[in-house]
Amino acid sequence: MKIAYSHLVQHLEQNPSIEQISDSLFQLGHEHEIDGGIFDMEFTPNRGDCLSISGLLRDLAVFYTVGINQDIFSEKINELLIDFENLSESICPQISFLKLEIDEVPEIYKDSLGDYFLDLSLNKNNFFTDISNYLSYETGQPTHCYDASKINSKLIFHEIEKNEEFETLLDKKIALSGKNAVFTLNNEVINLAGVVGGKSTSCSVNTKTVIVECAFFQPEAIIGKSVKYDIQSEASHKFERGVDPDCHDRVLRRFIKLVSEHANIKDMSIISYKSKDNPITQIPVNIDKINQIIGINISEKEYLSYLLKLGFIVEEGFIEVPSFRSDVKTQNDLAEELARVIGYDNIATSEISIPKKEKTNHKAIENKLRFFLLDHGFYEVINSPFVSLSSEEAIKVDNPLDSNREFLRTNITNSLVDNLLFNERRQKDSIKLFEISDVYSSSNGISKKRKLSIIASGRVGLNYEDFSKKINKKYLTTLFQEILPNEVFDFEILSRDLLDTKIKNEIVTLEVDIDRFSTNILSFKEISKSPESFAQYSPISDLPSSFKDISYSIKDYSKTQELQDLLLNYQSDILKNVYIFDYFKNEKQEEIKIGFRFVFQSKKITLNSAEIELVYNDIVSQSLRIEGISIPGM
Amino acid sequence: MPAHKDILPLELIKDRGSLHPINHMKDSIMNLLISFGFEIVDGPEIETEEFNFDMLNIKKSHPARQMHDTFYVENKSNLLRTHTSPVQIRGMLEKKPPLAFISGGKVYRKDDDATHLPMFHQVEGIYVDENVSFAQLKDLIYKIIYSLFGEDVELRFRPSYFPFTEPSAEVDILSKEGKWLEILGCGLVNPIVLENCNIDSNKYSGLAFGLGIERIAMLKHGVTDIREFYKSNLDFLSQFK
Repeated sequence: MKIAYSHLVQHLEQNPSIEQISDSLFQLGHEHEIDGGIFDMEFTPNRGDCLSISGLLRDLAVFYTVGINQDIFSEKINELLIDFENLSESICPQISFLKLEIDEVPEIYKDSLGDYFLDLSLNKNNFFTDISNYLSYETGQPTHCYDASKINSKLIFHEIEKNEEFETLLDKKIALSGKNAVFTLNNEVINLAGVVGGKSTSCSVNTKTVIVECAFFQPEAIIGKSVKYDIQSEASHKFERGVDPDCHDRVLRRFIKLVSEHANIKDMSIISYKSKDNPITQIPVNIDKINQIIGINISEKEYLSYLLKLGFIVEEGFIEVPSFRSDVKTQNDLAEELARVIGYDNIATSEISIPKKEKTNHKAIENKLRFFLLDHGFYEVINSPFVSLSSEEAIKVDNPLDSNREFLRTNITNSLVDNLLFNERRQKDSIKLFEISDVYSSSNGISKKRKLSIIASGRVGLNYEDFSKKINKKYLTTLFQEILPNEVFDFEILSRDLLDTKIKNEIVTLEVDIDRFSTNILSFKEISKSPESFAQYSPISDLPSSFKDISYSIKDYSKTQELQDLLLNYQSDILKNVYIFDYFKNEKQEEIKIGFRFVFQSKKITLNSAEIELVYNDIVSQSLRIEGISIPGM
Repeated sequence: MPAHKDILPLELIKDRGSLHPINHMKDSIMNLLISFGFEIVDGPEIETEEFNFDMLNIKKSHPARQMHDTFYVENKSNLLRTHTSPVQIRGMLEKKPPLAFISGGKVYRKDDDATHLPMFHQVEGIYVDENVSFAQLKDLIYKIIYSLFGEDVELRFRPSYFPFTEPSAEVDILSKEGKWLEILGCGLVNPIVLENCNIDSNKYSGLAFGLGIERIAMLKHGVTDIREFYKSNLDFLSQFK
């Protein structure tokens, strides 16, 4: 909600600066940004009472002397005769109508009404709707204006369940469905209660006689409607958060006053319907409890003085909560009021000491497995559980984000296959992934299994020992069972026939319940460790990569390390990775042969051969400066 | 020139894998909290409305319960938990105070953009004992934030609103660029929630806090798009060894 600084400060005796008010609002928990002289407020959902000038001033009154100058029409008003029936009093326990006729529609707005449109750069609609909008801004109570000439039969408020097209006063046609609280006239919806009025009965620039509706709707009946029908509605924002049920008479009298400042009122009448009294919340004064909750030591006198400034009434040992603060019900709520006034950052800390428990080895087997897999070059992944139907036992999501993914996965492997193909498309030729996750199905009610899934394909590793070996079922089974001989690894080969890929490497998968592993696994001594720090991420490139290999011949063995240090640490913006893919020591010929692979990729452009050659030639040139090293064929 | 036999064979550099950065961050935070005295409790990701909302004092009218915020499953009979708090409810129903639980894991909300995903991770903690105060909550939060971001970090507490805590606060840290960044939500457990778990709120009080793992991982690793965490791109994952 946007609120102009000038509209607040004119009521504050101390004349604080915009920065001072901003600090006060933050301390009170009202987040905002400042744009020019405008506060763009974001209130927590429990503070619907602050969605107005008056509401914010009520909170700021704890820091400043507030003088609200909102005159109302104070004389007696005739009773309105209106044909109205409330068939859903539980949703709308209180509603008032004001009928008002003027002789001429004013062209120019004065004082606070004029400032409202000018300072907030708002467009005008018509006189009565403009007053209604301003009044909502000033008091927090939305009102709705009907052109009285269009209310020609019985007006009914009720919650109905009927599919019907409804055209809003903003010319938007919406298809009402499900239960909706509405006003109807001649059996047609003319107002989606608390959200938006209808075009058929709306005021125009020529309207001289208006019926103003001022109601309290239970938030439960309004909530979600504006989202459902995709309507931006200030009114529903307020009704959803709760408005002051006791403000109708004052708001409508303020409406009259504002009209009277702009036009000559020929006639007016008012009526209120109230099906039940609003409950009054009273909480015992208990400063010891308040001090204990916050962890401070403040006097009762100071505590109560703050509450009085916030509009609470203190009487005979009880604190009466004002009607606009429906969020305050308990001692903890009052403690929060005090803590806000003191300022959360001004409350001193008090040392906490939680009794230490005996350390339990939570998920020990699972964690051992994770590090075992890390040791063998596997990367842990996390996938979304939302999939298209994968089995008849899949749990259906009633309201998916994507209609193509309206089920929860019943296996992890399919996600890993997607991950594998994703990486293969990015020219990865050694892919080893695993995921551990809960998997749910609807067999015998909702059942949960914790599973480990593994997928691997391509080269065993990017090092000279593993480079030429391809991952296959036998290799992985042998490897895993040598290290974890007591476990059963039922690896499977996944056919590529149905996959969108031309790569032929064997895909090996495993999916197994975690509880199938034995505690023997705990004796495995892993090499990998959790990183001790959090690596700074370098943005990755989706552009194509290419590689070049260089095979070196080394006669002077002592230069091997020097060559390795040079090449593995060579820096270039386009050199993405270097590794040794081949190593052979020929004892007879007293020669070492080492093959290095250089992978090139830019983060900005698709590299051409000239750009790669430039770096490649520098690598060659620098390496050949090392004595006793040559590149056969060069 | 040294004799050939003196030369060590070329070191074999084997590529090791890496933990997923989100799981690594979650584990780090949970280990930190365990060192403070918390114990881990686990719970299901598919929850009932009772445990995910009702027991936590989230009223039927609360926006979070709407179909546009919460994923419901199997004809609205259950839902995907929107936070890890229901795990703590289950813990409080099982054990008597004093108790100190943490729960971590996947949670689900109907969001999808550069900073929000329909699936993300949380770690939440709760401590219930006699005379637990907001001042003690602040002490704990300082310890957590200092452990994560160092003692030089500037932080602030802001009043906020969660149905399950009262008073409630959000905690921001000041970035190097001078911008306040929201890090966690916390508060004193609403007595209604304690009573829902058969804990005498006149005798006991509690504190609770929750951290979004992705948010902290993004800050610590310098990742700007949350979606990167879940593409399973080896170029991304290999940076977190």
